[in-house]
Amino acid sequence: MNKLLYIAKRLLLGIPVVLFGLTMTFVIIYLSPFDPMTAILGRDSDPETARQLAIALGLRNPDGSPVPLWIQYKDFLVETITFNFGQSWVVTRGQPVGALVWERMPATVWLGFWSVLIALIFGIPLGLYAGLRSNTWGDYTASFGGIVWRAMPNFWLAVMLAGLLSAGGALSFYRGFLIPTDVIGTSDAIGALFGGFTPISSLEWLRIPVPNLYNWAAGFKWILPAALVLGSSSMGNEVRIGRTAVLESINAPYIDTAKAKGLSTRSIIGKHVARNAMIPLLPVIMGEFYLLIGGSVLVELIFGIRGLGNLFLSAIFASDVPIIGALTYVFILIIVFFNIAQDIAYTIIDPRIGLEGGNE
Amino acid sequence: MSTPPAGDDRHVPEDRRTEEEPILSVRNLQTVFHTDRETIRAVDGIDLDIYEGETVGLVGESGSGKSVTARSIMGLVDEPGEILPGSSIKFQGEEITGYDTKQYQNLRGSGIGMVFQDPLSSLNPVFTVGNQIREALKVNRGITGEAAREEAIDLLEAVQIPDASRRLGEYPHEFSGGMRQRAVIAMMLACDPEVLICDEPTTALDVTIQAQILDLLRELQEDRGLSILFITHDMGVIADVTDRVNVMYAGEIVEKAPTEELFAAPSHPYTRGLLEAIPGQQAGQERLRTIEGDVPTPNEPATYCRFAPRCPQAFDDCEAVHPELVGVTEGETEHTAACLLYPEDMSTGEAVAYHERLGGDSSGTDESGAAGDGDVAADGGRSTGDRGRDSVDGGDGR
Repeated sequence: MNKLLYIAKRLLLGIPVVLFGLTMTFVIIYLSPFDPMTAILGRDSDPETARQLAIALGLRNPDGSPVPLWIQYKDFLVETITFNFGQSWVVTRGQPVGALVWERMPATVWLGFWSVLIALIFGIPLGLYAGLRSNTWGDYTASFGGIVWRAMPNFWLAVMLAGLLSAGGALSFYRGFLIPTDVIGTSDAIGALFGGFTPISSLEWLRIPVPNLYNWAAGFKWILPAALVLGSSSMGNEVRIGRTAVLESINAPYIDTAKAKGLSTRSIIGKHVARNAMIPLLPVIMGEFYLLIGGSVLVELIFGIRGLGNLFLSAIFASDVPIIGALTYVFILIIVFFNIAQDIAYTIIDPRIGLEGGNE
Repeated sequence: MSTPPAGDDRHVPEDRRTEEEPILSVRNLQTVFHTDRETIRAVDGIDLDIYEGETVGLVGESGSGKSVTARSIMGLVDEPGEILPGSSIKFQGEEITGYDTKQYQNLRGSGIGMVFQDPLSSLNPVFTVGNQIREALKVNRGITGEAAREEAIDLLEAVQIPDASRRLGEYPHEFSGGMRQRAVIAMMLACDPEVLICDEPTTALDVTIQAQILDLLRELQEDRGLSILFITHDMGVIADVTDRVNVMYAGEIVEKAPTEELFAAPSHPYTRGLLEAIPGQQAGQERLRTIEGDVPTPNEPATYCRFAPRCPQAFDDCEAVHPELVGVTEGETEHTAACLLYPEDMSTGEAVAYHERLGGDSSGTDESGAAGDGDVAADGGRSTGDRGRDSVDGGDGR
């Protein structure tokens, strides 16, 4: 009950954050040298067409007077919050932005999913290993690897990897390996991960999607290089923080107590150390999601993936304000959501963190 | 708290020593820590016996090696620490120094339990107290489920935690300091150990709570026949709870005596210094008397008295002869001291020669070497049955 109240409170407190984010977005778009009129019509346009466009875009009233800024702001807020993003101005002129975002979403989610998962699968166990075998060659190797991964900037790594994987590169065999896939460009596999739906028992409306395993494999193979690049620095972080967290926990007095109780090594590490080591790791893992948003722009561009990051970049270059607004809103929502998720996860992992402030 | 001991009823009768095997017996324990520059001899050849149902005190300043002794017994000495070969720790007659991890895990808890100094950090903060007690029950006694819950409630009640069933579901941070130490004790009792090592269990607590915990330990000991090794730097606590005392200084035991005897007639200058440093013992003086200086870090085998630099009664030979643990009077076995001033009834010259001879005989420099000589007790009043082995170990260990 207390926990539900806490969650409700956190969600409520998220609202002003989202509003503030949108306000900043509006201010930045307004102050930036975007000129949608030129972007849409080109340099030498007919004044009458320009006037009609300005009215259509909501920049001028039908009588020719400019629409006051606060009304533009209000319209922007209301339309964005209600997911009424309007139509694209430039990138795919006339297409509803909502549909466009929806269409580009799967590739980015697929990329994000695997980059988080790969980082977790390799980073956390390596970090735990390094911590448990501290100051051995195994630890040095894992820690050094972690630092190297952390130190390679993803723009550099992305370019290098894309180069190696392309025709003539040292890793060009990868494209034909097992399942032929492209590594640059967008795979069709992710559009067809599920081959229809199957009803469960007699309830006709309750259906589960049937995964198309071939497309899963193909989709995974296609996204692997990009996901590796995007997850690289997070993985390095997880190794390093994981190592420290384990070391800190394993030398804690409560571990001595656990040993004095006669617990097995497995139980000590699997239960007492692991749970405590999760506490400092949690923000690192959650932080991955923020990195993904920034990183996806770059990685999607280099690997030619038609996802949200790629769309965002083209929208900015093309001064396509509705798309910029819509995507910023989506990114803000994601970040606020993961922040709240992190706080809630904290209260589950670490009981010392109170749901209320300050009263213990 | 610092009143002289009165508990005669707790005193182990003299005669049982000769008949009974000690439940825990430490001989020539040497625990060293290897560092880049030197080898720290944190525990340098100590002997210790604990008989069933008694409380043995181990007292000394910080850095004298008390906790390392406890950790050595528990098998909790990690790299770069090492228990040197030649050390012997016997639990119920069985040598445990050669145990592997698995054997130690079986021994810990159900055999020897340990309560650590800091109750605030010796419980895992992310699991409920009940969870941690039930874990001990499961591992050591195979009790699970509802039975474990009931047993855990009984244990919390045994350590006088009110509202035990609710408390089981709480986290350590919801307990006060004294409560936490009680919970730790309950957790150790859940393991049903034969020997409980208490490493300064009351140091982090304020005095009223300290008194409660000590009373609790005493009661539990009576109820369950626990043998307790009680480690502290507080002479008042020693007086309160122990039957026999071992005074430790710089990795060596410098005096052993029944508690009353120690307080009535402290022999080693160090013990006297410790007792004089108790506030209230010297009312009327302007300042509290202290022992000047610090405990040295023992990094080489002792060929001299490690206390000499701080000793008010030191003389030239103290720098040249390593004192062995000898009876304070000739033939005395219960009360021994490692000081060249003893045995008391010898002249100083005789005593020095005596110590030299004891040290030389065993070709070692540690106190256990003294055990090679049949007429002195390394540990208060044990039979001389296994002396020979000790001296051999003492020799081999070097």
